[in-house]
Amino acid sequence: MDETLQQWFIREIVPHEPALVRLMSRLWPDRHEVADLRQEIYIRVYEAAARSRPTNPKSFLFATARHLVVDRVRRNKVVSVELKGDLEGLNLLIDEVSPEQNVGARQELRRLAGAFELLPAQCRDVMWLRKVENLSQKEVALRLGMKEKAVEKRLARGVRLLAESFYAVADGDARGTGALVRKEESGHG
Amino acid sequence: MGERECIEEQAAEWIARRDSAHWNDAQETQLKQWLESSSAHAVAFARLQAMWQQANRLRAIGAGVPPGVMPRPGELRSSPYFDATNPDAPNVGRGSSGMPASPRRRLAGRAAGWSAVAAASCAVAALVWQQGLFARTHYVTPVGGTAEVSLPDGSAVILNTDSDIRLAVSATERRIDLRQGEAFFNVAPDSTRPFVVTVAGKRVVAVGTAFSVRRHGTEIDVVVTSGAVRVEQASGGRREPLAQLKAGSVARAGDAAVTVQQRSLPEVEELLSWRSGFIVFRETRLADAVTEFNRYNGRRIYIEDPAVADIRIGGKFRATNIESFIGLLREGFPVRVQVLDERIVLTAR
Repeated sequence: MDETLQQWFIREIVPHEPALVRLMSRLWPDRHEVADLRQEIYIRVYEAAARSRPTNPKSFLFATARHLVVDRVRRNKVVSVELKGDLEGLNLLIDEVSPEQNVGARQELRRLAGAFELLPAQCRDVMWLRKVENLSQKEVALRLGMKEKAVEKRLARGVRLLAESFYAVADGDARGTGALVRKEESGHG
Repeated sequence: MGERECIEEQAAEWIARRDSAHWNDAQETQLKQWLESSSAHAVAFARLQAMWQQANRLRAIGAGVPPGVMPRPGELRSSPYFDATNPDAPNVGRGSSGMPASPRRRLAGRAAGWSAVAAASCAVAALVWQQGLFARTHYVTPVGGTAEVSLPDGSAVILNTDSDIRLAVSATERRIDLRQGEAFFNVAPDSTRPFVVTVAGKRVVAVGTAFSVRRHGTEIDVVVTSGAVRVEQASGGRREPLAQLKAGSVARAGDAAVTVQQRSLPEVEELLSWRSGFIVFRETRLADAVTEFNRYNGRRIYIEDPAVADIRIGGKFRATNIESFIGLLREGFPVRVQVLDERIVLTAR
């Protein structure tokens, strides 16, 4: 594997995932398909970048997203008014994406904290000891009195769940209504 | 499980395995082969590797936590790290009510020293928060604007376009006067102080619930997303109950009658999509859609042809993006669009 391509992808593409997922959720009627679409967009971007790196990775990512949606709509031969209306506004929506790049490290950290807290308790303990206290997998296993293999499994599950919420929860936070949404979910009253 | 999820699981396993002490050259080669065999593998791995690296930053958040102590859920977000210098401290302060009452879990035998720090920072947050509140009891939004207001009791209000509210919070009642427009209320439970919205001679009373109220002259619309709400007629000193609304209710109350429709929760949420800046139409008469758009934009749309008024449209639009809406009409419907200086006129084509 081209090590630098992976590093490029991590640096230039993955940080836009919250904005990308939010955009796709607006455009695509079936929310359950959004993660699959995101994966397909990533593959297209990755393969194109393997041939030559785009000069503006972010625009390239969103242009790829737009093409993919248009392709899908054509293939299905169903142009829903809903989708069409938003496709026309897509350029505008993309412009709106940019300010959030400036929200700063602090908000990103808060998102990270939020995603971390959503982890199941077992994954959270292991992740905390490994990442915050910087213990090795072996030391974590000793501390918690479990097998090393079990630590490895929980870390694997933890990183996957962390990515799921870290890259997806931006929706509310970026618009400043995240606290409200969480409140509704906590179901008081 | 779908193909993508399957690949993501494998990618996560590779990352955790590579992190272990038993990682060797043979495994390195296997990983390389796995990554090269498919771009789907490569992007899933890169994405999770990015997350794995991001997670190192948890150390910054955990800086105030003594070794061997695990923060409880809810605690990290109210970490001193966020409160100390964050200009949004009042919002963070909302989280202060979520501070743990029970002692945090300990992984090893050392005592927790963080709670004092966390509690102190909460006091600061609460102070800023109250100042912010007492300083202002009057909120307005311009045409096309929305605003979020946090109340001292933990309730939150989102104001829609062109709206005006006054707050009067006392020991016995939390009262909001909706003079104009529309607002969504997410009410913190407090059985000793009812939450009351006064509007157009009516009272909309809630205890621990989420609902919106919109004023149209002397009529009001109430949409309830959770809990229950009571609508009362308030004339002179007398209060007369008009209707009891539960979650999913969409009610219009005039002087003579109250009509209540029961909708599914997703439908109700859709009615409130203005909270995120959108308006949603489903089989909506163009005349009604135009009225809706005109609430949000200084540049108004006029229909000068009854044949156009009854066209049905659907879609989700950014409330202030009038161009996208007009473009759609022009392209997809038998409508002629004239764009004049401050008006847009629709006629049949």
